[in-house]
Amino acid sequence: MATNRERLRRWRRSLVIVFAVVGPGIITANVDNDAGGIYTYSVAGATYGYSLLWTLIPITIALIVVQEMVSRMGVVTGKGLADLIREEYGFRTTFILMGLLLAANLGNTVANFAGLASGMSLFGASRFIAVPVGALFVWLLVVRGTHRVVENVFLAACVFYIAYPISCFFANPDWSHALISTVKPSFHFDRGYLYMTIGLVGTTIAPWMQFYQQAAVVEKGIKIKNYALARWDVFIGCAMTDVVAFFIIVACASTIFVSGGRHISSAADAALALRPLAGHAAQILFAFGLVNASLFASSILPLSTAYYVCEGLGLESGINKRFREAPTFYWLYTALIFLGAFIVVVLRESQQVPIILLSQVANGILLPCVLVFMLRLSNRRDLMGEYRNKRFFNIVAWATCIVMISLTTLLLVSSFFPGRLPV
Amino acid sequence: MIYFTELEHLPSFDVKGEYLGRLFDLGVDPSQNSLRVASYLVRTPKRNLLCITHDQMQSISVRAAQTRVPAAEIRCYAPDEGMMRIKKDVLDQQVIDVDHRKVVRVNDVDLDIRPTNGHTDLRIVAANVGVAAAVRRLLQGLAAKHTIRLVAGLFPSKVIPWEFINLIELDPARRVKLRISYDRLARLHPADIADILEELGRDEQKALIESLDEETAAQVLSEIPTRLQAALLESFPVGKAADIVEEMPPDEAADVLQEMPPETSAEVLADMGQEEAEDVRELLGFEENTAGALMTNEFVFVGDAATVEGAIAAIKNFEGPLESIHVVYLVGSTAVLTGAVPLARIVLAESATPLKELVAEQLISLPFHADQKEVVDLFHKYNLVTLPVVDDKGYLLGVVASDDVLELMVNRK
Repeated sequence: MATNRERLRRWRRSLVIVFAVVGPGIITANVDNDAGGIYTYSVAGATYGYSLLWTLIPITIALIVVQEMVSRMGVVTGKGLADLIREEYGFRTTFILMGLLLAANLGNTVANFAGLASGMSLFGASRFIAVPVGALFVWLLVVRGTHRVVENVFLAACVFYIAYPISCFFANPDWSHALISTVKPSFHFDRGYLYMTIGLVGTTIAPWMQFYQQAAVVEKGIKIKNYALARWDVFIGCAMTDVVAFFIIVACASTIFVSGGRHISSAADAALALRPLAGHAAQILFAFGLVNASLFASSILPLSTAYYVCEGLGLESGINKRFREAPTFYWLYTALIFLGAFIVVVLRESQQVPIILLSQVANGILLPCVLVFMLRLSNRRDLMGEYRNKRFFNIVAWATCIVMISLTTLLLVSSFFPGRLPV
Repeated sequence: MIYFTELEHLPSFDVKGEYLGRLFDLGVDPSQNSLRVASYLVRTPKRNLLCITHDQMQSISVRAAQTRVPAAEIRCYAPDEGMMRIKKDVLDQQVIDVDHRKVVRVNDVDLDIRPTNGHTDLRIVAANVGVAAAVRRLLQGLAAKHTIRLVAGLFPSKVIPWEFINLIELDPARRVKLRISYDRLARLHPADIADILEELGRDEQKALIESLDEETAAQVLSEIPTRLQAALLESFPVGKAADIVEEMPPDEAADVLQEMPPETSAEVLADMGQEEAEDVRELLGFEENTAGALMTNEFVFVGDAATVEGAIAAIKNFEGPLESIHVVYLVGSTAVLTGAVPLARIVLAESATPLKELVAEQLISLPFHADQKEVVDLFHKYNLVTLPVVDDKGYLLGVVASDDVLELMVNRK
């Protein structure tokens, strides 16, 4: 009896530890599959079939390397990435980085409200209703909701990503072909294929993720001795991102690509194209997944942006503070959401292009800076002690960063000179 | 008034007008004078660091600095742990604003130029955390200094006088050398210190708790989430952790020990004083989320035959915090709870009055295995301040206080 009770208690204890650690990695990774991500994966599948699937494995590894590093820094130092950069590289550098982050995430927010609009249009809702209602919902959730409600809503949103694997099964793909393509690299030396690869990498590994993950780890107060578990949170989260990506690519490849290929200009287009080939249910699921992902990302991105911009600049922040105590924080958050929604509702698509371009440029400049700062910080003995990067890890990490930086530079160049990639 | 941002990179010359280099950092020697800049670090064109002492400095302005000795007399900079450096240790770092009870990040440092018998001294006046200082940092070196002053003047400025600034130094030895004391901070309410603590990074939290005396540390820890308490206590040597836990109220101590791994909490318990450890051990056995896990075993009780005089004697002998006493409990010969007497009735009664005549009409209590929801409901329904907890035979085991219930409610939210 007593031993049973003891065992029960120990079991409950370990469960408590799991819940105390799990979250940041998984939430970050799921927000990563936002409207932009879903669109990119759909296009990859629709245009190149299974032949881009192999890139998912190196992308996952790169993502894990990067996210593990920030997660570790968060656990060991108990400080956010913006804080560490401020303390190490001074005010001006931080200010510029935060400005870029703001620009990048405004673009991301716009992309997600656009995703919401196109997803809801499949359910027959006008964007003039869907976007304002969505924006208000997201804003109220964070400003009025308690911490517990917000967390539960976010976790529920993570679960809904199951919509993609299910809709993929409806598409009835050639599984063996898909799996072989995942492990067997194939190269095409045409320009479009290269763009697409770069696009995949760029959409999966974005600079906001490093800030968000580290802040979330700090917020959660994960202890150093539980770090092994936190690392699993990162692994599982990163794997989840790319598993969802896998199913989206496969769904589009086995239907749209196989039936002769077709140009798709939005994620909702992909859902529409699925219908004649995989059935009505697949379309509904795909569109539902898109709406879910868009709403999820458009609440977390503005919130987290406001959070670390304020932290880096030494201003009061956090949803547990009142409006009067942290005015900049709330204004930033509100402005990002309403500006994002406004742009989608009022501006025509062609008018949105400069904003998306600006956001891409900001991302492109930001990523190399963040990666290099991160690598240098996580090698500091006084900061990280015995948890600083090991030599082998450093080789892998630097290699990853150099590849990432070159790809981002290419993406940046290509977005300014479409069709003139210097290869 | 002059700002550090205006002094950084200031061209410096020796007495003969020979160029030395640019000002790199300012050093303060707290063992001499904690407000005076004791040395000026100048980076030469060859990237060596010179160290000009304060009495070698002839004049300083926004345009240039000039020493009153020739270059040959200025020595090279040798790293000195006992020197607090403005740029390295203060700028961009988190410091505690003791006056406003919060953690701030320093954007700039305000200094005062004071000619002093033949040389010039700089005095530290305040840490600048406002938007104006941020604008100065942003524009520093990009525009003329008077233009920057003009532009920055358009923005609100926020300064914290230097005497209200508490630096956070991680290295205990250096803390002593820099004479960083947390006296002012320790005089704040523990709940305020706890708020400050939660804003800091892991190592800073540890440094802060380390520098408080055990009693204050225990009070502060009692105000932060249990998980953070455990993480901090685990980072200390067992002896230090035990000293702090000893000072905590037994129910808080039991909570945090249950949060720690069993081996660690056993070590801490073994290292605590006999009596305190016993109090905590009594509380450790109760299931989570029950009334037993919420209660404390520090309360005042007397035999049910006692008089007001006896109750007052019991209060005088009580070892727990006096402000926690609201009720004196009566127990029968077998320690069974028989009544509760509100403190106010005792105060107003004659000393010979038997307590039985003063008991509250309804005796409300709960068994230790009752769910915490029931506890909350009873507090709400009967407007309780404290609630006695009994076992199945009616023995008085402990008391739940309203502040613990309030905390439970806030955390559930």
